[in-house]
Amino acid sequence: MLLTSKKKINQAEEEMLNVPQGSWAEIWYELKRNRRAMFGLFFILFLTIMAIFADQIAPYGMREQNLSNALQFPNTTHWLGTDDLGRDILSRMIYGTRVSLTVGVSAVAVSLIIGGILGVVAGYYKGWIDTLIMRFCDILLSIPSILLAIAIVASLGSNLQNLIIAIGISSIPVFARIIRSGVISVKEQEYIEASEALGANDIRIIFKHILPNILSPIIVQSSMGIASAILSAVGLGFIGLGLEASIAEWGTMLNAGRGYIRTHYYLTLYPGLLIMLTVLSFNLLGDGLRDAIDPKMRER
Amino acid sequence: MIKQKNKLWLFFLAAVIFLAACGSSGDSGNGSGGEATADDGEPKVLKVANGADPVTFDIQQTNDQATTRIARQIYDTLIVQTNDLELVPGLATEWEEVEDNLYEFKLREDVTFHNGEPFTANDVEFTLRRAVESPTIGHIVDSIDPDSIEVIDDHTIRVGTSDTFGPFLTHLSHPAVGILNEKAVEEAGEDYGVSVVVGTGPFEFDEWVTGTHVTTNRYDDYWGDAPEIDRIEFNTIADPSVRLIELESGSADIAYDIAPSDIPAVEENSELTLMNTPNLGSEYLGLSLHNDTPLREVKVRQAIAHAVDVEAIIDTVYMGVGDQMSGPINELVFGFNDDLEPIEYDVNKAKDLLAEAGYPDGGFSLSLYVGDNSQERIRVSQVVSEALAEVGITVEVQQMEWGAFLDSAAVGEPDMFLLGWTTVTTDADYGLYPLFHSNSFGEAGNRTFYENERVDELLDAGRYSTDQDQRLEDYREVQEIIHEEVPWVFLQTRENVTGLSNRVHGFEHHPTGSYDLSVVTLDAE
Amino acid sequence: MFRYIVKRILWLIPILLGVSFIVFTIMYLSPGDPVTMILGEGATEEAYQALRTQMGFDQSFIVQFLNYVRGVVFDFDLGRSYVSNRVVLDEILVRLPNTIRLASWSILFATLIGIPLGVISATRPYSKVDNVVMFISLVGVSMPTFWQALLLIILFTSTLGWLPASGFTSWQQMIMPVFALATSSMGTIARITRSSMMDVLDQDYIRTSEAKGVSDGRVIFQHALRNALIPVVTVIGLQFGALLGGAVLTETIFSINGLGTMMVNAIRTRDTMVVQGGVLFIAFIFTLVNLCVDILYAYIDPRIRSQYD
Repeated sequence: MLLTSKKKINQAEEEMLNVPQGSWAEIWYELKRNRRAMFGLFFILFLTIMAIFADQIAPYGMREQNLSNALQFPNTTHWLGTDDLGRDILSRMIYGTRVSLTVGVSAVAVSLIIGGILGVVAGYYKGWIDTLIMRFCDILLSIPSILLAIAIVASLGSNLQNLIIAIGISSIPVFARIIRSGVISVKEQEYIEASEALGANDIRIIFKHILPNILSPIIVQSSMGIASAILSAVGLGFIGLGLEASIAEWGTMLNAGRGYIRTHYYLTLYPGLLIMLTVLSFNLLGDGLRDAIDPKMRER
Repeated sequence: MIKQKNKLWLFFLAAVIFLAACGSSGDSGNGSGGEATADDGEPKVLKVANGADPVTFDIQQTNDQATTRIARQIYDTLIVQTNDLELVPGLATEWEEVEDNLYEFKLREDVTFHNGEPFTANDVEFTLRRAVESPTIGHIVDSIDPDSIEVIDDHTIRVGTSDTFGPFLTHLSHPAVGILNEKAVEEAGEDYGVSVVVGTGPFEFDEWVTGTHVTTNRYDDYWGDAPEIDRIEFNTIADPSVRLIELESGSADIAYDIAPSDIPAVEENSELTLMNTPNLGSEYLGLSLHNDTPLREVKVRQAIAHAVDVEAIIDTVYMGVGDQMSGPINELVFGFNDDLEPIEYDVNKAKDLLAEAGYPDGGFSLSLYVGDNSQERIRVSQVVSEALAEVGITVEVQQMEWGAFLDSAAVGEPDMFLLGWTTVTTDADYGLYPLFHSNSFGEAGNRTFYENERVDELLDAGRYSTDQDQRLEDYREVQEIIHEEVPWVFLQTRENVTGLSNRVHGFEHHPTGSYDLSVVTLDAE
Repeated sequence: MFRYIVKRILWLIPILLGVSFIVFTIMYLSPGDPVTMILGEGATEEAYQALRTQMGFDQSFIVQFLNYVRGVVFDFDLGRSYVSNRVVLDEILVRLPNTIRLASWSILFATLIGIPLGVISATRPYSKVDNVVMFISLVGVSMPTFWQALLLIILFTSTLGWLPASGFTSWQQMIMPVFALATSSMGTIARITRSSMMDVLDQDYIRTSEAKGVSDGRVIFQHALRNALIPVVTVIGLQFGALLGGAVLTETIFSINGLGTMMVNAIRTRDTMVVQGGVLFIAFIFTLVNLCVDILYAYIDPRIRSQYD
């Protein structure tokens, strides 16, 4: 659901994103001064490390069951307790970072690549192809993205790849729109006209002149996009359309814990908290990046 | 500037009006259910939390439990199966087999339908002929020979079966064979079962708001003992924990199907009573012989049966609800073999058996399909997958949408699958024939594609005989063979679990899972 | 202006056709045969074929789609549910009020809280108050709706016993779903209000007014807020659509009989007609609300109008 809300706000934010950027060093300098953004960045790094070294970090295996130890409240051997099959919650949360980060990043990659191609084509060539692509985006936007994702996953079947496709498809229009408006504003600048006059071909112009100039809004949007993609993925997991239940995934963990919500609150509390922190981190980073990139903000 | 200011106000005004309109239109569309209970006469309303919305009250178009649980209050059957599974007169007062495979039923003469029409043999004829044609429930009455149905007079009818069919009378007591009123069905056309529902039962259909509730009112001309309650509200509440919350808060008097994880909450609450009794259902892990896997070796199947700790599954996943099965049917079913012992959990024995079969350390992998509609089965799939990993068998669990799951299991796609079966007719024929006869491969019920000539022979014999002693003998043997050849890992018996407010008296379980509410009484609040 | 409105309304047609086509395609590709699901176990081959023909499944994909569109366009017939055989339009109309009510109250709530929060932040930029408000807004945006709903149930139903956890008739029943659904929109609206307000406050004429000595409060409310609200209004319109989608999970958790629960169930049971009808309705409402917003927006801001005239 948040995916949709973010998607919409982007339209309003588009203009804000399309501002001339400072150099990368300047941006990094600005970003470093933003404590909230740095918190986000560090938390994301922390999650990434957990995901990569889950096997070493997690105290127990992802699937390791101990039926006689089921539903233990947090204690010294199981810091965050055990689930209904006696699996260690902390360990499953750590393993869960793998799925969430993979889905988040890959889904954004899918929508970035497809949306990027559509946006560049639309913005660069204008005319009927622009109209066609933008109408297609309007159509996709008018289906609530979570419903679209549910339908796609239900129809393709739920595995990691299909989850990525489903979530990726539903945010294609967001990226297409942002990139299109970026392309249009850059294209209008004179130096492109100059290189066109010199006879450079379209592909070359796009890669050499246009893309580098719209990179910053793309980066900002990607950071926010990962946040929404993670939320969508846990949403699907929560309604039981996620991955197979023995694979640790935050949404599925919440779904499994839902039945015990009254007696064993920790089954839903901790994974949910981690989801929130993760999404918050990507949003904080995105916010920070936007502020750092936008010189107008910096003046203040 | 001023002009623009006005425009903005206009804008907000429009927005507010829009919101207000949305709000009020919603209000008016709802709320009718709550008000009716607050009448002056204080009618006694029983509020039941049902787990799913009914499908249709044209009971020949569906055979699902949510519908049956309501429809049972509206319709009557010719023969009634009591909670102890005895057959007693319903709309038929007496019956006898007048010739081989031909039964004569005497019908009650004091019965009227909810639309005022008298109940006659013509309605029975109409109902049975229509039922035989029904794609959904036809299998329940497919033993009937439609040509043999003959109305003798208004209150006498003869019905024959095409072959000798042991459990024929039991099948007639199935709630799906409730008697319809010919006139009502014909007149309503497509609307029958949705807005028009006519039966002879203790309660008459009042209103159905899809997805929300169904209400029924007491039928004052009911032929049997008049119910004490005036009205029943069946509220559709899909989430089991919400059903419990409704029960606790007093918004429901009866909550069906309490989730295992919620059982302690009901038991600890002094204002609530938990009722759990075994039903005719059983859970199993199907080991398919369809694909060319090591499962075709009987020893491998036995090994798997020994490797799964069914007791632990019952304790952790089902919170102690149910008993480990010793065979495919449970003791409530006619034909149950009480000599069989449950297969014990023994990892070493499992390993030995695998070694004997030529797979000393397992070393092969199998797929396990599970439908996504049951949290419990999903949990069991994870336990099984871990248990088999212990003996070296890799399990790839596929969690699928329920419909897709049934389809793929019917064509033999999975190597293993988790499913259940309810022997609604209480007769071993229904509990064994569809599941193990080679005629029933796939869709019909035999999703393991198990085939054994002797089993086929015995199942045929049992089906086409009315000699109950011989049938018992045959079915006992079938169970022995199946126990030995393990096309299933027998998991546990299912239980009906209902949460009741202490205000409710007289409620009893029926093993089929659909309960008679006409006998229920309610204390004042 | 009139031409603009007509043009925008005409755009609805290709959009709804497109939505229909996409949904139809996805459902067509779904595994699980609706005919088998209707007939259930033990159906004969003849019954299967007969029903298949009757329902038009023996025809090609494109013919099926065109038949559907023809029904919708000429008879306003959304078909019947495969599962219950009920008329889809009726199924939708029973549930639509609940979903609209949930979304409307949520947007109202989100607006009434979000705008003041944004204003407070914008008037004290980079202060402690601003930091706290913006952090809370971002937390609101980052919290999964369904998790928040579960926390609310733990607190208000299981622990305190104040509010019922299901249904959507009384005001007590509405508090938790509306709050859970509104939080993220509230954060979004607060954030947009703040940035838009800060842009406006930055503009020259506000500075001029300040220089003239008009008191702070009047400046903010008369000049800044009015101008700043224009983009906020757009976002509110868009958020309404987002809330219609967000209602899916909220309705499921609180057992609200709305379009969201209906469609999730229908997707799972491959009830294509119900899914189609539901998505079409939501897409229609969403585009309509945004159309209204755009029209009003164009009415307010002549620059936009001139683009379309």
